[in-house]
Order: sequence, then structure tokens, then C-alpha cells
Amino acid sequence: MTGHLPRPVVHLVDDDLQVRKALARLLRQHGWSCVTHESAEAYLAQRDAALPGCLVLDVNLPGLDGLALQRELLASGPALPIVFLTGHGDIPMSVRAVKAGAVDFLTKPVPAETLLAAVQAAVTQDEQARQVLSARAALRERFDSLTPREREVLQGLAAGRLNKQIATDLGIVEQTVKFHRAHIMQRMQAHTVAELMHQAASLGLTATSGTQEP
Amino acid sequence: MLYANGRLLPANIEVDQGLHDILAPAGLPNVAVYSEFLDQPAFSGEAFSQTMATYLRDKYARSPPSVVIAVSDEALDFSLSRRVRAFPGAQIIYLATSAGHLRSIAPLPPDVVGVPVQYDFVETVTRALDWHPGARHLIVVTGASPWDREWEARLRAEAPGLAPRVTVEFLAGLPMGELHKRLAALGRDSVIFTPGYFMDGAGNQLLPREAVRRMAEVAPGPVYAPYSTFMGTGVVGGYMPSFRDMGRETGQAVLRLLDGVAPGDLGLLTTMPLTLRVDWRQVLRWGIDPAAIPSDARLEFKAPTFWEQYRTLVLAAAAVVILQTALIAALLLERRRRRRTATDLAQSERLMGLAAKAAQLSPWVWEVSQPLAPPISDPSHDFARVFETIHPQDRTAVKQAVQRAIGEGAELATEYRVLSEDGSVRWVAARGRADGPSGQRLIGVSLDITQRKEAEFRAEQDQTALRHLTRVSLLGQLSASIAHQLNQPLTSILGNAEAAQKMLERQPLDLVELRDICADIVAEDQRAADIIRQLGALFKRGEAAFTPLDVKQLVQDTLALVRTDFLARHVNIVAEFAPSLPQVDGDRVQLQQLLLNLLANAADAMGAVPPLERQVVISTDLTDGQIRVCVADRGPGVADSDMERLFNPFWSTKLGGMGIGLTICQSVALAHGGSLSVSNRPEGGAVFCLSVPARIAP
Repeated sequence: MTGHLPRPVVHLVDDDLQVRKALARLLRQHGWSCVTHESAEAYLAQRDAALPGCLVLDVNLPGLDGLALQRELLASGPALPIVFLTGHGDIPMSVRAVKAGAVDFLTKPVPAETLLAAVQAAVTQDEQARQVLSARAALRERFDSLTPREREVLQGLAAGRLNKQIATDLGIVEQTVKFHRAHIMQRMQAHTVAELMHQAASLGLTATSGTQEP
Repeated sequence: MLYANGRLLPANIEVDQGLHDILAPAGLPNVAVYSEFLDQPAFSGEAFSQTMATYLRDKYARSPPSVVIAVSDEALDFSLSRRVRAFPGAQIIYLATSAGHLRSIAPLPPDVVGVPVQYDFVETVTRALDWHPGARHLIVVTGASPWDREWEARLRAEAPGLAPRVTVEFLAGLPMGELHKRLAALGRDSVIFTPGYFMDGAGNQLLPREAVRRMAEVAPGPVYAPYSTFMGTGVVGGYMPSFRDMGRETGQAVLRLLDGVAPGDLGLLTTMPLTLRVDWRQVLRWGIDPAAIPSDARLEFKAPTFWEQYRTLVLAAAAVVILQTALIAALLLERRRRRRTATDLAQSERLMGLAAKAAQLSPWVWEVSQPLAPPISDPSHDFARVFETIHPQDRTAVKQAVQRAIGEGAELATEYRVLSEDGSVRWVAARGRADGPSGQRLIGVSLDITQRKEAEFRAEQDQTALRHLTRVSLLGQLSASIAHQLNQPLTSILGNAEAAQKMLERQPLDLVELRDICADIVAEDQRAADIIRQLGALFKRGEAAFTPLDVKQLVQDTLALVRTDFLARHVNIVAEFAPSLPQVDGDRVQLQQLLLNLLANAADAMGAVPPLERQVVISTDLTDGQIRVCVADRGPGVADSDMERLFNPFWSTKLGGMGIGLTICQSVALAHGGSLSVSNRPEGGAVFCLSVPARIAP
């Protein structure tokens, strides 16, 4: 079901050139595509939310620091998962960062193993998030392709009503409802009624409310 | 018994009683006493007398009386004149018959006997005039009945005898209203004499006693009378016979007559004796001098006083009562005083309690036995027990303060820590002084000052926060900064090295890249070395300001910096200074930092040690021209395996430690031409010693 996605990119933000160079080398040696940024501002200037990957972020940055960048990204919608780096462990700071959604909080100097595991986790997290989003978008697209009458029937089905009841509700014969249902399942690419119900739930169709935006 | 007047005449009643007094005890079974009343002057006249005589004769026809007792003049007259008809063969005894009347009807038959009454008008009036020296007039009151008239006649006959002393005026036979008016108009210099009367001028009949009573009510002067039955009506008194005695006398005569004694041999009194009777109330009313009253006078209506009756008893009782009263009064006073004292005490105690409670004070009494030894009975007072609860580190100070207070009478003022059973430590301030003659007792109050102490610590800590930033935690700050600086090259080196390792796994080798990596590693290592060099440069000789320093002073100043912190952590500090150490040349701040670091390490090392055992000993000594300052703790000591690495940079046994403190300390020691050494003490714990050369005196 996964669509063709671009290769994930690890964005490394650190003000120290040598650190950037060394960690970028390490990541590339382990097969990651890595883009380095010397400041938070530099990253923000060229970021593309549509591209997958993750962020390896030094906490102590001149200008906008790591935590501030995290806040800004969270405020502007879906963002890449973040792995923090810090010169020395600061527990309150790391707790704040993790609570705000950071994948990990690593202390310099960081062993390769630790860094790579954190990056892998962050990229996976990003992938999953993107899959959920795209699946929902696809579902939405299919739903939009239904006729208004089909949407009404689907809503009735989501509400748990029988064909006969839906027919009565809509002032049509039961046979027509069955016909609609078959067509709906075909359009929604649902193989079973259960799958259709699951899709309806994902779309936010419920017993009491009408069609809702997801 | 033949009475001239009515049954209710008081005289008649008395006579009857007197007669009865004699006849009743005699117990004569065959003798009956009958009483007849002529009821004069209501009934009188010849016709009445006839009828009465006939009646009596008929009545007693079958049992004629042996003796007829004629009471008063008229009864005697009737008896004599109707004797034959009414009482044939009866003996006649007269009674209450006046001597004057007897004389007027004499001679009497020989079988008519009795005791005549000689009323003494003149004597009575004379006595009255003695008692009322201011009296100028004598008023004599009589009535209108025949009996009254007879009295009037007798009195008029005797009145001239009084003439020289008073003027005598008779108010005879006046109607009652006018009589009273006349009496009321009299002056106070009048004395009244009256035998009373049965009938006034208007024909109104009444008992003489009643007539006298009314006269006495209206008269402004004293009233005298001849009859004892008038006593109590308001009369003062007079010479009077006793009707009861008359009755008795007659009773005796009757008994003898019945015994067959002849009337002429009865041996009767020639006349009834008169007694001077006086109404005590009237004596008081008229202001009569009691001394003028003869001792044989009979005082009536004078209730004998309790005193007169029971004088001895009264005296004895009074004595007892007085003694008891005195005793009771004394006891009451004593009781009151004690109660007041007790009340005052209780109140005082309540006030003290309130005050103590309000101030959160605990009063105490400490019995201090010589010297703080065997406990005494009351545990709350036993200083030895109190002493046990005191923090061991404060015991010496408290003991000294207590001994000073007892020995020198100084006021006790001390602050110390107390160990609770739950292990917590409270601060207590105690104030007191010696009390009592023994000099082994202290009284005083305690106040829990834990909060204050904690506040003081906090304040002191806040105050020293800056100092800590600039001094105590200087190293820490430095460490953080250095660590951060070092982290960058280290991160770079590590990253490069691990990247290279990865590259080496792959064929063909990217030699250009590998060469690049190696160059970077070398460059970063150089960068790290530079940072370390900068650190070392901080403590290079020449860059610091070396001055002659007194080691003892240096240690004391340093201890002052950590004192609060150590108190809060319950770490006891013992300083042992060698006497008269030479000075050292050094940088004051750097050496202080070094000592602070050692002290802080010592305290940190004892985190797991029970509070009471946390002790740091800082000592100084001089050996071979080297001054040593040693800091010994009671912590777990340094593991043998750690001894070598102890001074290595970035190596630490502390959680979150940077591993840089001792490295810098060593740098400082070296910069001072000295050394820093460590060893474990045989009794446990580690000891760090700084050795610096003693300053050579110029």
C-alpha cells in the first residue's frame, strides 16, 4: 500500500564545523543521506516538510537554540522527529525536550552505535507518520469519488443500520441499497464489510453525526 | 359561791382559781361547789333580789349549801339579807369585801366570817407621787353604779390626806365620752387613780378592767388602781391584794369549817395583805426611776432576761462561743489566705502557661547532680536524661554552659540540637539560671528554634550563593565550561574515528576520505590539547598573585565558608592546628579553592554515613619545611584500583561528576611548588593532604 517515497534525509544542525563534518561522515558511512546546517535558522530556511527524514539537533546553538527550534517546528504543523545532542547531560532540559516529542536526547561525545540507533528510530517514526497521513489522504480521495446517494448509504452502514432500515430512511427499495453497497465497496477498495466499517471510522463517519472532514 | 357580778369578771375568775387550788387537791368526794352570779349591776333592785332568793332557795332546797361564800360587798349584803330565805343554816364566808363596807354594816353575826380587804388609796397615791415628782394633780375616776358610788365615797373621805402634795379632782359618774375627753385634756403633771367602774354616767355597763383599759389609753398621765386584775391594761400599778390569794384563803377556811372548826376559831387573817405591783412597761413608759421602786415590789411584764436567768451558763457558753468563733475566724482567714494564694498561683500558672504556649516556650527545671551524674527521681527534671537527647556535637558546649550557670551563677543561654527518636534533628534555644539553695537546680525555658535556624541557614545560603558561584562552585562552573569545550573535539574525534572504522570495512578503500578523516582527528586532538593547556595556564606560577599567607587563617576562612553548608548536612568539623606555623607564599583564592574542593569531597564522601558519624578533621602540621594541610573524612575511602586514576582529568566516582576537581587541585598544588596526596586512613575514610613549602623568611 506504500507509495513511492523519496529517500529519508538526516538533517544535522550543529554550530561546530568539525562536529558536523565528523557526524555527517559517520552517518553517510552507515548509508544515510545527510544534510548539515550550521544554525537553526539555516535549517528553517531550506526545510521541506514534504520530504521524509529526521533532525539531529545540538541543544547549544547560537541564535535560535535547539529547544526553541523544536517549539517552532511543532507550532508549524507536522515536523521531522528530533534527536537532540548536548555537551553535557542536563536532566530537566532533556525531560522537557522528550516530553515535547523528541525521539532521544544524546550526550556528546556520542558513540556511533547510539547515534545510529536514535536516527533509525527517528526516521522510522517519520515514515510511519507519513504512511498514516497518506493512507488517510487516499481513503479520503476514494470517499470523495462516491456519489452523494452512495455517501448517504455508507453513512447508514457506518451507523450500524440494516439495509432495510437504510432503504426506509432514504425512501428507496432495499434492492437498490444492496446495489449501492456493492458499488461502494468496489470504489473504497474494501474487500469485506468489516474493512469498509474500519474505513468509515477512519473517515470519521459515526452513528450520530453526518459526513465529517477527517 | 355567790358572786355579786358576772362570771367573766377577772376578779371572779381568779377567786375561783384560788379556791380550786385548795379544794381540788383536798379531794373531797362529798363536796360539790356551785357558782351563782348576781350579775350586778345589770340586775339589781328589791324585786330581783326576792326572785333570786326564791330561785336559790328552790334550787338548793333538796341539797342546801353548808357554806356560802359571798364574793364582794353586794354578795355579802344579799347573803346577809336573804340568808334565812335562801340559805337556811349555811355558814357565810365573805371574800373580797372591803373593810370599809364591813364597818358600815357591822356588827356581823358571829358565824359570818372572812378576810376583809383594806384598800390603801393614800399609800398608792403617795408612792405614785414619789415616782412622778412633777405631778401636781391627782385625778380620781369613779363610776355611777352603787358599787362605784361606794368607792367614790370612800375615796373622797381619804382624799384630804393627800392635799398638801397635790390637788385632788374627782371625775365621778361621768358619761364615758366626756370622761375620756376630760382625761385627754389633762396635763402631763396629772396622776390618775381609779378603781374602775361598772357603769358610766350615761348608764353604759362594762367591766371595770375594760373601763380602766380605755382610760389608760386616753390619759396623758400615769394611771394607778387598787386591783391586781387591772394589771396589763395600761395602769402603772399600786398596792393591791391578790384575788387568787383570797380564793385560797377562803378555801382553807372552807376546809376547816367542813372539818368542824367553829367559825370563830378559823384563825383568819385580819386583813388581806397588799402587794405593791408595778407594770415594768409602764415604769419604762413614764420614766420612773427603778431605784425608787422598793425591792419587795412585784414587777410584772418584766420578762426576766436571759442573762438574769442563765448568767453562769451564758458566760460559759459565751466563752466557748467566743473561743470557737476565734478559732473559726482564724481557720477561715487561714483558709482564705491559702485559697487566695492557691488562686493566685493557679492564675499565675495559667498566665504563664498561656504566655509559654503563645511563645511556644517549654518551661523546665533541671536538677543537675554532681557532675551531671546519677539521675534523680523525676525524669522530666533530670538533666542527665535531657543531656542524652542533645546532639553529641553540642554536648560539650551545653555542659560548659550549664556548669558555668551553676558554678558562677551566670545566666544560661545556649543553643543546641536535639535528636528526636525518629532521627530528625531539632534546634533548641534554652535560657535559664540557677535556682534554689543547693545550687544544683536550673530553671528556665526552652524554645524550638528549628525554623529560625533553618531560616538562618537559608538566608545565609542565599547570601553566600554569590560567593559560592564565584568561589565554591568556581571549579564546577569551570568544569562545565571546559567540559563543553572539550566535548566538541571529543565528539568530532569519536565520530571521525568511528566513520573511519566503518570505511575500513568496505572495499575499495576511499583513501582520500580516510586521509581527510585522520587529518581532522589530529586537528581535533590538537584542539582538545589547547583547551587543556588553557586550563593549566590558569594556575601557572606568575599569573597568580602570590602573597605571604597564614595557613591557620586560610583554613579558618575556608571553614567559615562551608560551615553553614556542613551544618545543614550534619557534618561536624574538627580543626586541629599545629602551634605557630610559618607562613606560605601562595595565591589565596587558589588555595582556598583547593581546600574547599577537598572539604566538599570529604562531605560528599559521607553522604551514606549516619549523621552523627559525619566528621571531617582538618589539621595542619609542619614537617621538613613543608606545611601540610590534611582533610580527613569518615567516608568509604578510596578503592585501591581508583588510587592511580584519582587525579586523572574527567574521571570521577561521583554521579554526574566531571572528574576535574582533583585535577585542578593538583595543578594548584603543583603551581605552589607543592603536592597533593591521598591515602586511606586505617580507621576508615580517606585523607587528602596538601603539602606546600613553608615560606622562608627574607
